[in-house]
Amino acid sequence: MAAELINPPPSVPPALALRMSQQAPRILQQSSGPSLPYLLSLLTASDAPETWIGYENLLLSCLRTGDDRSARMCLEKLTQRFGESNERVMALRGMYDEAVAEDYKALEAVFRGYEEILKQDPTNMPIRKRRVALLKAMNRPIDATTALVGLLDSSPTDAEAWAELADLYLTQNLYSQAIFSLEEVLLITPNAWNIHARMGEILYLSSLATNSNNDGNLMQGLCESMRRFCRSIELCDNYLRGYYGLKLTTSRLLSLPSKTSKPAPAATDPQFGDLAPPSLATIEKLHELATAKLAEIVRRNAAGESGWDGYEQAEVIAARELLDRDAQKVKR
Amino acid sequence: MAQPVVQTIHRDPALFYWILLPITVVMVLTGILRHYAMILLQSAPKKQTLPQVRQQRSLMRAINLRNNFNVISASSFQNRKALMVQAFKDGAFLADPEARGKPRPNPMTDPAMMEGMMGMMKGNVAMMVPQTLIMGWINAFFSGFVIMKLPFPLTPQFKSMLQSGVGTRDLDVRWVSSLSWYFLTLFGLQPVYNFILGSNNAASQVTQQMAQMNQMPGMGPEQDPDKLFLSEAENLEVIEHYWILDGVEDRLLAKLT
Repeated sequence: MAAELINPPPSVPPALALRMSQQAPRILQQSSGPSLPYLLSLLTASDAPETWIGYENLLLSCLRTGDDRSARMCLEKLTQRFGESNERVMALRGMYDEAVAEDYKALEAVFRGYEEILKQDPTNMPIRKRRVALLKAMNRPIDATTALVGLLDSSPTDAEAWAELADLYLTQNLYSQAIFSLEEVLLITPNAWNIHARMGEILYLSSLATNSNNDGNLMQGLCESMRRFCRSIELCDNYLRGYYGLKLTTSRLLSLPSKTSKPAPAATDPQFGDLAPPSLATIEKLHELATAKLAEIVRRNAAGESGWDGYEQAEVIAARELLDRDAQKVKR
Repeated sequence: MAQPVVQTIHRDPALFYWILLPITVVMVLTGILRHYAMILLQSAPKKQTLPQVRQQRSLMRAINLRNNFNVISASSFQNRKALMVQAFKDGAFLADPEARGKPRPNPMTDPAMMEGMMGMMKGNVAMMVPQTLIMGWINAFFSGFVIMKLPFPLTPQFKSMLQSGVGTRDLDVRWVSSLSWYFLTLFGLQPVYNFILGSNNAASQVTQQMAQMNQMPGMGPEQDPDKLFLSEAENLEVIEHYWILDGVEDRLLAKLT
């Protein structure tokens, strides 16, 4: 089985998913090969964990690309091996049912199935997560949030669930709750640079959305957002999202009118106060640094240099657009 | 002095085919059988109930907060600390709030504990029964045979080990009796099992006993969750907070310019 099936990247781009699912017929045929008598096949069959992880990923990519028949076969293989009552297999089955559900009514039937399973065994975490995902897919974000909060109450060390909760809150514009959830994620995985950057993004959004008329608070929020981006860059060199956010926040900070009137070395309250905002010179330097680095990333990525081609195209385009916007401003 | 006389014993080659080989084969097969028997006998670990999961993971959350407090701001940290310390002192996360403050029940009466004991018993029985049987078999049929000669010399201390069942004082230590061959295979077949069954097998009794030794501390009386929560609350109280974002922009500038 191909390496990308056994160990796929954390977020599979559509092209890769398509390529993976196109292998499905070949792999499924291979594995069902000439069948030996019962006991002999027991000896030859490979039971390595990789095989089954491969099937799981194959199932996921087949569902993504709409190859429901191959997905069905993968699911059957997994069920044969691990049994109907395996939690992971149950979740995969649920996912399959959701994917082939034709209309809202069918989805509701799947949902009732989940409720039934959870009534018997409330500790079944994969199914509880599927239930949340299904509620979200059925466009009931409030219910999804409630269900997720219930899940996190009994399992508060689940970083994935906290991150999902942050996203749910963000779609409902509840910024401080989203920030709280992301803080929980960071407490579990303190060095996750993407979460630091995400935190910076939400802080930026929230300070723009809530404090547009209060410059002091706005600056406080922007400073923290900027520092989050700094931390994410500190943890991961050449992190595009980090530099993008850094440039965005610093240019915003530089354009604040109150910046000049109030240098604000407000005494940092040792107990509850937040950090004092950095000096103007530091912000300017950071802005220059971010601009230079973004330009470098965009240039090298466009030239296709080896080691610089891992960026997502959409992000590179956004960075280029940000740089262009800045250049136009200078011309004017 | 003449050289020490090299003892030669004329053995029937049939000894090799009818004793040495059968004992070896039987030992290997028993090991394999034991491996699969253990797999069959193993009972799946008992699932925790939801309140137990909650209790354990809430404690984990507090430990996470204690270890990684520097990623969140001072005010967020204070809020969380206040909340958790209060909840821990009230016992809000306990799986069994009723049992709070009561002494631990006798572990012998705890059904979960009994199950663990049963598991160990099963393992031991699976070890002991075949061993006794095979040893009886060898004693009944093959006792007193000298079946092979080791290709290297040994000191006389090994005599009792290698020639058990053969009562000859002057026999060279290099001769091995059938009962001794049984013991040698009993302890020395681990690499063979590793080769046949993969490295994580339950065939050999020596490794099995070691594994049980390691399990032992886990079997001991588990700690009172209430005490754990209270001590964790104390740990949280004494933390002096600092924020990793403090001065991060200067660090970054110093690093990159």
